[in-house]
Amino acid sequence: MMRRMMPGVARIDPVILVSALALSVLGVLFIGSATIGTKFEGLAGRQTIFIGIGLVAMTAAILFDYRMLLKFSFPIYCVCLLPLVYLLVFGESIANVRSWIRFGKFQFQPAELSKIATALLLAYLFENEDETRMRPATLVRIAAIVGIPVLLVFLQPDMGLALTFLPLVFVGLFFGGLPAKGWVAIALVVAVLSGAGWFVLKDYQKARIGTFLNPDSDVLGSGYQVRQSKIAVGSGGFSGKGFRSGTQSQLRFLPVQHTDFILAVIAEEWGFLGVVLVLGLFAALILRAMKLAQIARDRGGMFLVLGLAGMMFFSVVINASMMIGLAPTTGIPLPLVSYGGSSVATTLLGIGLILGVQYRRFANA
Amino acid sequence: MLRTREDRRALVRRIEISRVAVGAVLSLLAVAYWSIQIVRGEYYFNLSENNRIRAVKITAPRGYVLDRNGTPLVENEPAYTLHLYRREARSLEDSVRFIVELLDLNPEVVRSRVERGRRGPEYVPIPIAENLSIEEVAAVEARAVEHPEFAITVSQRRQYIRGGSAAHALGYLSEATPEQIKASNYAYAVGDWIGQKGIEGSYERLLAGVNGERRVIVDSHGREVNEANRLEASPGQNLFLTIDSKLQEVAEEYFRDKVGAVVAMDAKTGEILALVSSPTYDPNWFTRRVTAAEWNELLENPDKPLQNRAIQNMYSPGSVFKVFLAYGALSMGLVDPNMKIFCPGHAEFYGRDFHCHKKGGHGLVNLRDAIKVSCDVYFYNLGKKLGIDRIAEIASSFGFGKPTGVDISFEKSGLVPSEAWALKRRKARWYPSETISVAIGQGPLLMTPMQIARGLAGLVEGGRLPTPHLFYAAQAPGTNAPLRYTGETTSTMPITPEQLKIVESGMWAVVNEPGGTAYGSRVPGFEMGGKTGTAQVVGKGVTIKAGVDKSKLQDHAWFAGFGPVDDPQMVVVVFVENGGHGNLAAAPLAKLLFEARYAPKPPAPVQAASPKPRLQTVSSRDPR
Repeated sequence: MMRRMMPGVARIDPVILVSALALSVLGVLFIGSATIGTKFEGLAGRQTIFIGIGLVAMTAAILFDYRMLLKFSFPIYCVCLLPLVYLLVFGESIANVRSWIRFGKFQFQPAELSKIATALLLAYLFENEDETRMRPATLVRIAAIVGIPVLLVFLQPDMGLALTFLPLVFVGLFFGGLPAKGWVAIALVVAVLSGAGWFVLKDYQKARIGTFLNPDSDVLGSGYQVRQSKIAVGSGGFSGKGFRSGTQSQLRFLPVQHTDFILAVIAEEWGFLGVVLVLGLFAALILRAMKLAQIARDRGGMFLVLGLAGMMFFSVVINASMMIGLAPTTGIPLPLVSYGGSSVATTLLGIGLILGVQYRRFANA
Repeated sequence: MLRTREDRRALVRRIEISRVAVGAVLSLLAVAYWSIQIVRGEYYFNLSENNRIRAVKITAPRGYVLDRNGTPLVENEPAYTLHLYRREARSLEDSVRFIVELLDLNPEVVRSRVERGRRGPEYVPIPIAENLSIEEVAAVEARAVEHPEFAITVSQRRQYIRGGSAAHALGYLSEATPEQIKASNYAYAVGDWIGQKGIEGSYERLLAGVNGERRVIVDSHGREVNEANRLEASPGQNLFLTIDSKLQEVAEEYFRDKVGAVVAMDAKTGEILALVSSPTYDPNWFTRRVTAAEWNELLENPDKPLQNRAIQNMYSPGSVFKVFLAYGALSMGLVDPNMKIFCPGHAEFYGRDFHCHKKGGHGLVNLRDAIKVSCDVYFYNLGKKLGIDRIAEIASSFGFGKPTGVDISFEKSGLVPSEAWALKRRKARWYPSETISVAIGQGPLLMTPMQIARGLAGLVEGGRLPTPHLFYAAQAPGTNAPLRYTGETTSTMPITPEQLKIVESGMWAVVNEPGGTAYGSRVPGFEMGGKTGTAQVVGKGVTIKAGVDKSKLQDHAWFAGFGPVDDPQMVVVVFVENGGHGNLAAAPLAKLLFEARYAPKPPAPVQAASPKPRLQTVSSRDPR
């Protein structure tokens, strides 16, 4: 293992690396634009620091043999879930949600790291599960691996973050080879659970889903964000109003425009071209990662890449749909672009793992 | 069921299928954005132009300032301000021309304010003119349709009821500077008022309250269509000062034609009862926005009215210092109070002749007499015996050389010279002959009037130094629970009551015995003690040659008094710049202050009455 520590930089996939860096830079630029002259001014600088931390984590992930991580994925998973339990018991509430651990001036969202740990454990499961058709026991294991962190995060309660784990279930089921009968059964269970779930949801969560279904019902309340975000996106037109010149964004009607609604700011200031640039970079990153999964050396590597790429794809689609009212506002950030230290740093760590799988794709590597 | 090992190709094929799906979903998203941004782009663009949110700040009413008895010192009055909303203006140049003509404003001033405001974000309105008359307000409102970029807001203007009275204690308001805005983490915006100096500066957070905000939806003419939401302002707290207006007025009347400073302070608590720095300025100037010319006049005034002489100017304490030296020497056991020294009117030390202020000399004097008649020769000898480092130790123990910690800013720390100081600052050894000068409060030794007041309070209280303060109580409108000052006293240099009695008796004699230097200022029926001082103007010889106004070369006059002698409650320090001798220029005011506080009624501690402010709920509103 150690003799492989010398990086053959040329072997690192340039498409993934460049897309990830470009998205991070876009994020810093537009966080700056969205926060100019507000009390959030300076967050762009902080984001740069987090990107730096993320790049260090990414480099470490490339150099470290992912097979080692897979082997120890269960202890890693357990360690990563501990802070989630801690938060539920002792966590201090920030904006009514107990999802942050404070370190002096900085806060860390441990759930972000547990996403990676969950993806690792899932990949380890499929390293050893290589039947053509999925066994019921495997089904239960997938449910448990993903279900536990989802439940812990959902109780914080951070519904958006909990949802971002779900693609892992799909990755496990679909690529693990769940037969048609299984899909039907799962569809039934989901239908029943979502009916029951309506009673578990908080009022504001219900309101958001209600507004999603009928956005004009409450123009100044819950539907206000969606409406204003659509105005921001739509008014950007083909080439946008210019960097830092978005009237909607600069008037700060969007409550969290530097975090969840950053894409609306990009859409307003750089127009459709900006949106295509962002979606194009994500397409390049995700499609390339899936290509790498196809040539990965082992099943564990394949499933690790698929899980990580799947989670990113899901977040991108939900976030981009949120901006234009195609999905309810659930508080899912745009990976790499939205402001958020834990999110951007762990996403870069995940990209490092993907690059690591590709880096060691040859059997003797 | 038959289980077989999975063929890798099946997995690769599923990945291939999902790649197509991923590509398709992202393409569909792009199409959705296309339909909103390109197909319906114009519709949304119009919405964004016509249906915008304007954030209108609700300025929290600033707390009033009252004296310790509830006499109002500072209040607010309504004022109309004209703002320019840049986004509404077709051409800034046209807008400026229009408003300059309409209201007959100075075009240069308006242009410079627009330029300054343009550095901020576009949605922040630029303040153009303040204190509009009702007629001007009507004129602007009448043209609101053609010129939607101008809007009038009603705000509260700070009103300093007594003009320049206690101005240095109160401070003033001015527009927040870009640095202050940044330092406040954007809690303040361009055009916001912020407290400067005095208690307006120190207690800004308490007084300012928390601003609210309305989010209003305005149409393309900038007219309010609907209010989206509203966060009410929470008003600032009313502040009660330790100042007693009655004493303050007496002191100000005395200083009407004099330059200098007065500090009257509760000897036990450090509550400042009167604080004067003369000449003064009218803080109302700043709220009406001073012009550049007015500013320059204020800044170029040779008497520097903005300086708070009580804390910002350092002077030689002159003979006032002798009582501290006497106290220190006694507590160190280095002087026998009964020992007599012969004063022939001058004495030689280190080969130099030093004069006593009394030409013929005082004859034989002991410590008490030396204080009473302010004998220089006695203290020359005492100073020589102590040496500069012990003198520095004594001075430091009374808080000299350090800020007093008074709750207003820009306080100077004064200067206490020592051997180490000379080596560090002058890069030269201390001259022993300088010690002789320092012993009578001359030489490099420098103090502020506030420091002397605190030091004297510490002396008469047997070594307990209070922290001087102006904060008496604060009260949030609508609540009855006042916030009280919790300052600490520092204890230094313990002294036996017998030793303290000797110094106090000397200071009593200064005022109450024939021959005492302030005998002319004794208060009938009241026992005031004190010490006069006369400080030479530094660089006298040099400036005489330069031909400066002769009145500026007169000595500075000091008087530091306390009373009643048997249970000291108030200390008074009077400093008159170029006033001549302390007994003539400074001591009479101390007499007036003690009279004002004690003569009309028997001495009683000031009532810590539960303050009942006159509350008035005010909030700024947008007239539209």
